[in-house]
Formats: sequence, structure tokens, C-alpha cells
Amino acid sequence: MIMSAHAQNATGIEGSVDRLRLEGISKSFSGHVALDRVDLTVSAGEVHGLVGENGAGKSTLLNILSGVLSADSGTITIDGKSVNIKSPLQARTSGIAMIHQELQHVPELSVAQNMFLGRPVKKLGGAIVNRKHQERVALEVLSPLDPDIDPSVPIRTLKVAQRQLIEIGRALMEDAQVIAMDEPTSSLTPAEFLRLARLIEELSAQGVAIIYVSHKMNEIFEVCSRATILRDGRNVAVAELAQTNAAGITASMVGRDLVDASHVSHATDDLVLKVSNLSRGKAVKKASLMLHRGEVLGIAGLVGAGRTELLRLIAGIDRPDAGVVEVQGKVVASNDPRAAIQAGMGLLPEERKRDGIIRARPVTSNVALPSFRLFSRFGLIKRKRVADASLSILREMDLRPLDIDRAIGTFSGGNQQKVIIGRWLAASADIMLFDEPTRGIDVGAKAEIYSLVEKLAAAGKSIIVVSSEMPELIRLADRVLVMSEGVITGELRGDKINEKSMLELAIVNEN
Amino acid sequence: MNNEDALSNAGRAGFKFPIGMRDLGTLFGLIIIFVVFSWLSPVFLTAPNLINILQQSSINACIALGMTLVIVSGGIDLSVGPIAALAAVVSASLMVAGVPIPMAIMAALGVGALCGLFNGVLVAYAGLQPFIVTLGGLSLYRALALIYTGGNPVFGIPPEFRALTNGDLLGLPTPVVLVAVIAVACWIVLNKTPLGEYLMAVGGNQEAARIAGVPVARTKIASFVISGVLAAVAALILVGRLGAAEPTLGSLWELDAIAAAAIGGASLMGGKGSIMGTILGAIILGSLRNGLTLMNVQAFYQLLATGIIIIAAMLIDSATRKNG
Repeated sequence: MIMSAHAQNATGIEGSVDRLRLEGISKSFSGHVALDRVDLTVSAGEVHGLVGENGAGKSTLLNILSGVLSADSGTITIDGKSVNIKSPLQARTSGIAMIHQELQHVPELSVAQNMFLGRPVKKLGGAIVNRKHQERVALEVLSPLDPDIDPSVPIRTLKVAQRQLIEIGRALMEDAQVIAMDEPTSSLTPAEFLRLARLIEELSAQGVAIIYVSHKMNEIFEVCSRATILRDGRNVAVAELAQTNAAGITASMVGRDLVDASHVSHATDDLVLKVSNLSRGKAVKKASLMLHRGEVLGIAGLVGAGRTELLRLIAGIDRPDAGVVEVQGKVVASNDPRAAIQAGMGLLPEERKRDGIIRARPVTSNVALPSFRLFSRFGLIKRKRVADASLSILREMDLRPLDIDRAIGTFSGGNQQKVIIGRWLAASADIMLFDEPTRGIDVGAKAEIYSLVEKLAAAGKSIIVVSSEMPELIRLADRVLVMSEGVITGELRGDKINEKSMLELAIVNEN
Repeated sequence: MNNEDALSNAGRAGFKFPIGMRDLGTLFGLIIIFVVFSWLSPVFLTAPNLINILQQSSINACIALGMTLVIVSGGIDLSVGPIAALAAVVSASLMVAGVPIPMAIMAALGVGALCGLFNGVLVAYAGLQPFIVTLGGLSLYRALALIYTGGNPVFGIPPEFRALTNGDLLGLPTPVVLVAVIAVACWIVLNKTPLGEYLMAVGGNQEAARIAGVPVARTKIASFVISGVLAAVAALILVGRLGAAEPTLGSLWELDAIAAAAIGGASLMGGKGSIMGTILGAIILGSLRNGLTLMNVQAFYQLLATGIIIIAAMLIDSATRKNG
């Protein structure tokens, strides 16, 4: 059952004081309304999901809650008391902690130093930071979370999951009453997610109110009891998760039912790409594969199995220890992205912000980056041709908004992804290497990317898709290779492409 | 802070037109300086004095153009002054020895290109930081110039060469016309060629640029070579004006050039910069010095004023960026 937002507000939850209550929060950016009178209520000990497509206003709401942005109007109350949050520090002192999707640490500083960043423990009248004391406190907080973390080591030596625990530890240390987690599992393995879920349960037992933002419906259902659904900056509904299902939530997120299309194959027998014995350190060990025209080849595996590394080796980004990549029978020079592009390959990197986009540059420049020479005559860029090509490619892909002179950094993740895919279409790449193409992208945009991949295959492009989401591979791939600890452990086709067989192959090397 | 607006401005203000929003801001600053000085001194706003300002700014503008390309690509070139000195003494000594003037000019440009290449190769292939590489170059090239001349100035520059740089072209001093032509060329490079896009991309996000197939190493080297060559051009202008080449010339040129580029909107973080802005920045610094000299302000106070202008320009820049 999904109640309307207003009915929910009128009822409230009987017998308990709402730990956190956001009411009528509105925020506009230069005329564009990002949030329109949004409400969010979380009671003590509740794990509350916050869901919506990208651009629905989740990030803006969290940024207001954590003091990064200030709301144009609306009120925030904690335990019935109105609080005025104008800065991240005020949010922290009001008992609100934020676990960011992209963890913000100073890599060279120690775990303890990072935990006390901004409010160090001092001695000698404030002149000197008391590191020993900081490390002792940090250890006390962290040892129940993960006894293996040594607070004195530099934080860069820790895994992402551990660094996340440190953020949670910091929140506990500061006695946070509200913890907001923004896509906390985007770089976690399934096992790490289970641990996080258990930790969240403990936190909620202690009365902490938790806001859990995720695109992964199974996690929302596993972790949360209720969820607030946002669409286009407005409250759509507050759902009691025990009384609805993923399809229901998704439908209200996008405002329509998503057609769960089945897989269509366009694969041929034309061998396009042949990879033999590609190796790099412990990450990739003697990987061989073949890719045919029109084929969509999935690569499955757990995080850290070496899939991204393999893709980067094929695309010439990193230097292999051994192995050969051939396109149409011709050997491609290794560790040379330009040679790979010349051979017709195009990589859609996993880390879009770090490896994909040039933020401050307009869409056109981002599209034409590998192919400016094709768009030039007598050494001068034909701007009109760049604009025409970008426009026709991106109109086809439904870039929103369709403003190709705007800096790419101002677009949502899904739309940035379309621009990078458009980049390789403009460069007429025949082999598309997609690394987690829908990571951090909302459901609606996901479906668009899926149909795009199919269109590309139908047009005779060959595509490799690395994905951690098994339904995605089942939906897209003609054939799936599974990797585990750097080794390709198996190949699945047709009916064999299912979650169970993929998982078996993914963990085959682990005892 | 409204990050989105700042970004979309960066994209829009872009480089479609010679004058973007940011450049208009710099132009406004220049106009204010003009208004103040023409009010304080009757001589300031006369044609001879304006030409004088352009001439005085031409050397800094020339250096700053190359510096802008380097800064846009995420680098910095601290070695421009010593490169200029080395190019100056080499070409001057060749001229004095009777080598034809065109050959001597080519030699100067060659020295500039080689020094730039050396900087660029160390940055691009050895992976050293531009600041450190060119800091080393700062001492290295200066030392070469001093060793080559034994520390003595080279006198006896042929009058034909001096006539070349001290003459007039189209009613303006030749150096002004020359630097204007170079500025147009740099504008074309930055806004109309693949190299310009590559410079912006490498400065904006080097790893993403590499993955997208941008020839990162060649792009960086190109920026340092251009900077070195333009340092040599600046050296030739100065040698022509003075009639001598001192191995110590060009001291602190790098700082003036960085200041001009920064006032003009170049970000030392890379990925952002404007040729028009840099030219306006150089003229701002030039008119400031000219105006203060007209008013008989002591050199020490001129330095003070320059510092204040640079910091004020940066404060205004960051304030306007925040407000979208």
C-alpha cells in the first residue's frame, strides 16, 4: 500500500516523537525548482529509504539536511526542536551526520586524524593536537565496527568499505541522532553490504534515525521500513515497504510502469576483437576472450574480480605484463589509448567524474574530444560540424536538457553517460567497452541505456558490458564471462545466464 | 555557492566569441583604471601615451600569451625570463659576429623552442611537476646565459636589427603590431584548433583526456615549446629596444606574466583561461605602471599598487563566480 504524502503527514506515527522532521522544504537554483515543499519524517530508530530518479531532488535534500546548501523555505526539527542549519558544522553539532557516496577524506592523514578533522582534541591550552588521545577514542569507537582497523595508519591504506565504517564511527563519536547515507553500497561487495545492513540494524536499535538513499531496490527493501518517494522535486508518496513491492515503488518513482523488455540478440559470427592471455599483476591473469559483430558480451564478477582492470587493459589505458589485443586480425599497440581508439574501440569508464568527463567544458567538446581531427579542416575545427553531429547524436539519445553548449558538469549522471556514449558514436567506434554503464543512474535512465545498448548492437556495433548488477547482464548480454580473482572462470550462454550460475562462477576460487 | 551556475557560465562564456563574460569583467577593470588616471593626469589619455602603454605592455603580453597556454593545460612556466635571456645573448652574439639577422632571429627562436622542449619533455615523460621543472629551468637557463657571456652584456647590436623592432607599422610601434598578431594566432590555437581543445581538456581533467585519446604528452610539450618561443620573441623585442643583450635580463618576467594571465581569468588549476583576458590583463598592469609613473609615484609604491590590483582582481573574480 502506498499512502499519499498528505495522508501520512496528518497521521504521523502514534506514540513516538519524530526524531527528524523536514517540512515544506523548497529550493530553487536560478529559476529552476529543485525541491518544492518537500516533507520527510523519520522517527527514532527508523531506517527510512529516500528514493527517486536522478534529478528528483534527493541530493539537494540531503545537502540541505547536512548544511551544504540552505533551503529557500521550510523547517527542520530534531526531537521536536526547530534547528537552524546554515553550515556543515552546524549540522554536525545538531546531531546530523552524512555518509557521502564519494567519501571525503584526506588520504595521507591517519584514520584518527580524519575522524577528528575540524574538531581536534587539543592539549597544552589548545596549542598542540593530542594525537594519542584521538587515536584512543577512535579505537574505542571503531573496534566494535571492525576490530581490524588501526586508527594510526593513513586512511588511503584502507578499503572503501572500511573507510565508510570510519565515517559511521565518526558519526557515532559525535553522538549523531540522524545519519544520512547516500548510496552507501555503490562500491561495496555483497558481503560488505550484509555487514553494513547488520550495523544499520544495531544503530537503529540504539534509536538513531537513518536515512538510506539507494537506487538498488533490493537493498531498500532489506534495510528500510518506510520510504519517501520523490519525483521532480515533489513528494509523491511515503511507502510502507512491508505492504508494497519493488515494481510499485519504481512505478511511483518514474510515474509509469517500466516495460521489462526481454533480450534480443543481434550477434553474428564475424570475429571483431580477440584478446589473448592479457595479464597485469594480480588483477588480471591470462584473460582471453572473443567478441563478434553485433554481440553484447557481459562480464560478471564480484567487485575486485579484475573486470574493470581487464577492460582498461583492452582499451590501452594500463600497461599489460603480457598478452595481445587484436582487432579485425590486426594487433593493437598496448598501453596506448590512442591506438585502441584508432582501432575502433571506445571506453565508457566506471568512474565517470574521474575518468570520463571534462566537467567545465561544454557537451560539444566532450563529445568531439577523441575525434577533433575528423572535425577539422586545414587544422581548424569546424564548430558547426561538431555542433551538428553532437546535436543529432544526442537528440537521438534524448539528452536532457538538449543544450550542447552547456558544461557537462551541470548534467545528471545518466545524461553525462549519454554524452560519453555519444563521444564514441561521433568517433564511429565499432567496439564499445562499457564499464558499469548504469552505476549511480536512476531507473528511468537505466532503461534508456539498455535500449541504447540494444540499438547499438542492432546497428552492428560490438559491445562488452561490465556490470555488478546481474539482472542487467541477464537483460543485455548474449554471452557472459564470469571473472573471479583476475581469472575468467567460465562462460555462460542463453538460458545459462542466470544469477545462480554467475554467482557460482564468481566465487569459485574462494574457499 | 551555486556551483551549477559557475559551471554553466564556464561552459557558456566559453570561447565562441572573442569576448566572453569574464573578459568583459576584465575590460571593465581596465576602463576603471583609465578613468581614474585620466582624471588624475591630463597626459594619460593622449594618443602618444596610450601607444606608449601598449609598447610598454608588449613584452609582458608576449610572455603572458605563452604562459596562458601553459596555465590552461594545468602547468606553469617559471623559466620564461631566463629563457629570454639565453635567447637574447645567443642571438645578439651571433649578430655581433656578423651572422645575418634572419639567422640570428631563428637562432633565438630555436633556443626558446629547445628550452621549452626540455621543460616539456621533463614534465610530460619524466612525470615531474611543471612548477619544479621550470624552477630548475629558471636557474639552469640563467646560468647558461651567464656562463655563455661571462656575465657581461653583449653590445654592438647592428642598427638594421634595431630599426626592425623600433620602427612603426600601420602607425603603431612594430612590437605592438607583432604581439597583436601573436595574440590573434594564440587565440586561434586555443579556440579553433584541436590543440586548443586538448590544452583545455588536459588542464580540466588529465586522466579523462588521456582515456578519450588526447595526446597528453604532446599537448603539454607543445604548450611549453610555445611558451619558450614567445619568451625568445619578447627577448628580441627588448634587445632591439636596448641595443644590448644582458644575461640578467628578464628577471621576474614570469611573475608579471602569471599576474596578467590570472587577472585575465586563467585558473592556475588549469582548464580555464582566455587570450583576450590575458591581453587585457597585461594592458591593465602596463597602464597602472604608466599612470603611476606619470604621477611621479615612487617605484616602491608602484609595486605596492601592483600587488593590490592583483589581489583585488582575484577577490572580485571569486566573488562574481560565487554569485553566478
